[in-house]
Order: sequence, then C-alpha cells, then structure tokens
Amino acid sequence: MTGQPTPSSPIRVVLVDDHRMFRTGVRSELAEEVGEAVTVVGEAPDVDSAVAVIRAERPDVVLLDVHLPGGSGNGGVDVLHGCVGVESGAGAPVRFLALSVSDAAEDVIAVIRAGARGYVTKTISATDLATAIRRVSDGDAVFSPRLAGFVLDAFGAAAGEIAEVDEELDRLSAREREVMRLIARGYQYKEVAKELFISVKTVETHVSSVLRKLQLSSRHELTAWAMGRRLV
Amino acid sequence: MPTPYERPAPVAAAAPQRPPLRRAVSGRRLAGVCVGIAHHLGLSTGLVRLAFLASLVLTAGGSLAAYVFLWALVPEENGYEAAARLGSLPNAMPAAVGVPAPGVVAVGVPGGMPPPAHPAAPALGAGSDGFAAPAGTGVVASPWAPAGRPASGPPAWVRGEPAGGRRDPRWRTLLAAGGLAVLIGLVGTAQSVGIDVQAGLLIPLLVIAAGAIIAWSHLDEAERESWLVAGTGSRRLVWARLGLGLGLVVVGILVLTTRGQSPAVVWDALLAALTVLGGAVIIAAPWAVRLWGDLRREQVAAARATERADIAAHLHDSVLQTLALIQRRAADPTAVTQLARAQERELRTWLYAGPSGEGDSLAAAVAEVAHEVEDLHAVPIDLVVTGDRPLEERGIALTRALREALLNAVRHGRPPVTAYVEIGPSGVEAFVRDHGDGFDVDEIAEDRLGVRESILARMERHGGTARIRRREDGVEVELTVPPTEGDPS
Repeated sequence: MTGQPTPSSPIRVVLVDDHRMFRTGVRSELAEEVGEAVTVVGEAPDVDSAVAVIRAERPDVVLLDVHLPGGSGNGGVDVLHGCVGVESGAGAPVRFLALSVSDAAEDVIAVIRAGARGYVTKTISATDLATAIRRVSDGDAVFSPRLAGFVLDAFGAAAGEIAEVDEELDRLSAREREVMRLIARGYQYKEVAKELFISVKTVETHVSSVLRKLQLSSRHELTAWAMGRRLV
Repeated sequence: MPTPYERPAPVAAAAPQRPPLRRAVSGRRLAGVCVGIAHHLGLSTGLVRLAFLASLVLTAGGSLAAYVFLWALVPEENGYEAAARLGSLPNAMPAAVGVPAPGVVAVGVPGGMPPPAHPAAPALGAGSDGFAAPAGTGVVASPWAPAGRPASGPPAWVRGEPAGGRRDPRWRTLLAAGGLAVLIGLVGTAQSVGIDVQAGLLIPLLVIAAGAIIAWSHLDEAERESWLVAGTGSRRLVWARLGLGLGLVVVGILVLTTRGQSPAVVWDALLAALTVLGGAVIIAAPWAVRLWGDLRREQVAAARATERADIAAHLHDSVLQTLALIQRRAADPTAVTQLARAQERELRTWLYAGPSGEGDSLAAAVAEVAHEVEDLHAVPIDLVVTGDRPLEERGIALTRALREALLNAVRHGRPPVTAYVEIGPSGVEAFVRDHGDGFDVDEIAEDRLGVRESILARMERHGGTARIRRREDGVEVELTVPPTEGDPS
C-alpha cells in the first residue's frame, strides 16, 4: 500500500462542515490539486443531513468538521455514531478524517475515540489534505504534529513512561514514542522512515497502532474529560 | 466662567456635596435608616437615633410608620458607597475599583459594627487616576480598568464576607424581639401601676407590627441575595422568619378582635382568620409563583445578555478591527497573513486560555518566544510543546537560544517552520526545523555571531548541547538541557 490509488477508482469524498465557504474552498482546491483522483460526491452542513448523505452515497472518506450543529449536540461525534457499520461502495468501512480549527487536541480526541482515523487542521495545504485523504482511505492514520504532541503527553511518553510489551494499551512502545516524537517535530512519514531506518509501511503500522491505543486506552488522561462529556 | 452646559470639572465635584440617602448595611441596628439619615445630613448617628427614639415617645409610636416607610423606599447602599461612607476611601473614588453588582454588599465585621477603614482601599485610590466625584454622582469611569487592583484581590467590602453578612440579620431579629419584649413588659407595668395606656389595643398592635417587620425583613436587599443563592441553611432561616412573622400577626389580630370574649369565640375567630389567610394564599400563590419565575427568567436573561455583550465587545475590539485592517491591506498578502495569524492566536488564547496564560513556566516562555518571532517575520511557526516545568536559568537560556534558532529558520529557511519542545524528567529537548536550502556550521563566517554565540556557545555555557543538522530540505536545530538540579531522573 503506497497510498497511490489507481486512476480508474477515484476516492469518493463527502464534505461535512457547517461553513459553506469552507466546503466550496476545499472542493475547488482539491479539484485544482489532484483533479480526478479525489471526487467530492456530497456535502452536508449539519449532523442529520450528514448521516443521511453518508448513508446514501457510501463514500470512501468523510471529511468531518469537529463542531457541527444538530444531532444531540456533540458535533462530529454524533455523525460517527450515526454512521456505525456503513460501508463504502468498495466494501470497506467508511473512513473519517477530522478537520478542526481548534488547537485544543482534547476537542479532537472525542472524534478520534469515536472512530475517526485522523485529524488535520483547516489551515492544511491542499496537497497535504489530498495526501491525508489518500492515507485515510487506505486505512492508515493521519497525525498532525500537534496531535502527536498530545499523544506523547497523554500517554506519559514525554515523561518517560514506556510500554514493556507492545500490546499494552495504556502506554506507547519505545518505537511508537520515537515515531510520535518525529511527527511532532514536523517530519513526514517518509522522513520518519528514513530517520529510523524503517519502511514507510512500518511507520504507518506504528501510527495506526498508536491510533488504536488512542481509541481504546482507558488511561486516565484520555477518559477523565470524556467521562464528563458522556462520550466514553 | 462656566456655562450652564459645562460639566463641572471632576476636581470641582470634590467640593462637599450631600451624599445620597441610602440605608446603611454596616453599623446598622435595624434597617440602617438612622445611619443613612445621619450620613445624608452629616450628623452623628447617635444623635439621629436619639432623636428618633424621642419622636417615638412623643408621637406615641407614630414615627415608627415613618421608619417603616423609609425602610421600604430608601435603597440599600452598595459596598462602594459603604466604603465611601466609612471613610475607607479618600474623598476620591478610585476608578479601578468599580461598582460591585447590586446586592453584593458586605459586612466586614460580625455583629454589624462599622469595620475599621480598610488599609487596602487608599492604596487603591492612589493607583488610579482618582477622579474625585463623591458617591452617587453617576460618573464612574471604566469600572473594569485593570490597573490599580491590588494583587491580593479586592478588599473585604468588595468581596462580600458571607459570615458577617449572615450573622447580621439574625442578630437584628434577636434585638427586635428583645426590644418588643421589653416594650410589652413596660406597657404591662404601666397598666398595673394604674396608668391607662390602653394595653388591650396597644399590645396586639405591637405584636402585629413586630410580625410584619419580621416577615418583611427578608425582603431586605442583602438578604434577597442570600435568598437567591444561598444553601438550605439560610433558606430555612427565611422560612422560619416568615412563619414567625405570620404567626405573630395572626395572634395579634386574634387578640385585637376577641378582647374579653369566651374561648369558643376565640376558637371561631382563629378558624376564620386561618381560613381567610389560606384563601388569600391560594389566590395569591399562582401569581406569586409566576412573578418569581419571571424574576428568575429575567435574571438568567440579564446574565446571558451581559455575557453576550462581553463577547461582542471582545470580538469588536479584536476580530472586527483586524478584519477591517485586512480589508484595507488586501493588496499586501504578507501583512494579511500576519494580521490573520496574530488575530487567530489572540482569539484562541481568549477562547481556550491555553498554556500561554501562565506567567513563569517554560512552556509559556517558549510559546511567547515563538509568537514573537511569528509576529516579527510574518512566518507561521507550528509549535508543539509537551510537558512543562518552572522557568529557571537554564530554561531561560534555552528559550533565548530557541528564539535565535527560530529567527534563523524564518529568515534563512522556508516555511513550514516547525518547533517541538519536549520537557521531561530527563531534561528538555527542543527541535526547530525549516525547509530552506540549509547551511553548514563550518561554512559560517567567523564574524557571524548568531549561530556560534547565541545558540552553540550559550547552550554549552548552561550545561546543554546544541546540534545543527543539515537535511535534504532545510535545517534542524536540536537543543538539549539537562534536568533541573534536585529532580529525580
């Protein structure tokens, strides 16, 4: 999996964001940047229409704003809960990429724990966004430097806590910590791979494993605030 | 010569002007009417009280009506006016103190004794550009001006000490009940001695008056506040007081209407009185409940409106101004980016009160430096910080070196510029990365001190290390600092 889709099968994307200007901007930027490789097949401004559009279109990837009107008031999380089990046209589960203007990673952790495969900020360039969409559609995870920093903090990795076995959910393994540190330093996946003398595929595996821990871990730092919001 | 349209200069307003008539909160015996009148007229409180008591005797209690009338109609002073009255504010009103919300009044000393002049208050006045309007002239300059607030928080009379405020009403009730008992005793004695004071009429009237006063007293503004916010304790007190007052009124009416009748008649009258009272309650209850609900709704709406106004004011001062600037400078993309970025940061800080809120932590210092460089050169810097520790000498050295590295990155490199600072038990590591053409440390001319002195030498002097790595696209500067002494590591 190199992340390059075959030209015959463009990635079908649904845009969920309550700002029409932002949807229009992303749509035209993507068209300019990657042409046919990514096709926007639907848009939705709120939770309820988003669930309806996603169920009808069955896209590969949903670009999901974290803050959305409608639903039960939890924004993007409600969309994720409403689309559990929906499969894309190709038979894979629909994948979600969270978009947020928020710096507060805590905001984004909610959608990640609800099932999103990654998070990017709205200031991301069109090229990077296209790369992120491709990566998510392949089932990999997309971490921004800020999210990586949050993960290092939340798992205590920055303070030196390291998992003894890779399977431990509440801590990062030494390798995962290295990968997260490099992503926090602004490295692309291929640069991380080069730095650590591993393949890009291995980097993707590590990132996906961190994402899994982020979603499943019951670490206090991750659950304390989520309990307060009844999101666990 | 001033025209009638000219406002008097603030200093001129310092000339003695009669303070407004307000019921005192502190130092009062019953409802603060006497203290208020004394202050208003510039007389001594004791004199006014004496005059009132004398008039009570002379008019056979008729001036009590005047007292109740004043009690009901004269508003209670707020903490600001109280301070002015007690002289803890010099004649000048400090602009910085602001007027506390109505009802946030306080009695500094339990038992209603006048608190001594608060030592913090004159200092407050000195810190501001103290304009000298006496209380209540309505000229209050920017009550939220931050300057001049003492570091230790507002003085007691602004904060509202709950202990003293709570104790006061109970104390007054006790006093009123005691006074009433003494009065009844006096009347009884007079009757037995042979002076006809029409005790049969006077005592029930007094009982009714006492009941009414006890029942009304919870409408006092200070107590209404505690009624609204207080826990069950003071609420029980309010109910007890209401019950006691009602009971006294009923007993008084009974005694008044059934003088010298048989117990059966008394029983009938009691039944009738209770029935009437019950009927009145049933009729009034829905109305009272609705009034109460309306009041609560209005309060919530007012609170929301205030919050909204605060947000609107902030957005106006920041975002709208920046948007206007951006429109004016639309032709200059660098300036627009810079403005947008600075505004974004400001708004985020306001919304989330991020790590930059704290004063002397390393994370806050690092964020501050990154923002400064960003503003100087209009290049966005993606800063990620994990962990934190107090700012000490090594941290300051690291922050300065980091600043130099960031400056180099934005000047000589190309965006995106990223910075990652990891503050952990094994020391601090900082990385600054740009995507420019890069440079070799060995190629730097001897006279270029930026990298050599500000980064490499500085870090070494403080027991840290600095490493500059040239990458395919750009440069990465790596700074490390050992852990603080005494840290377990």
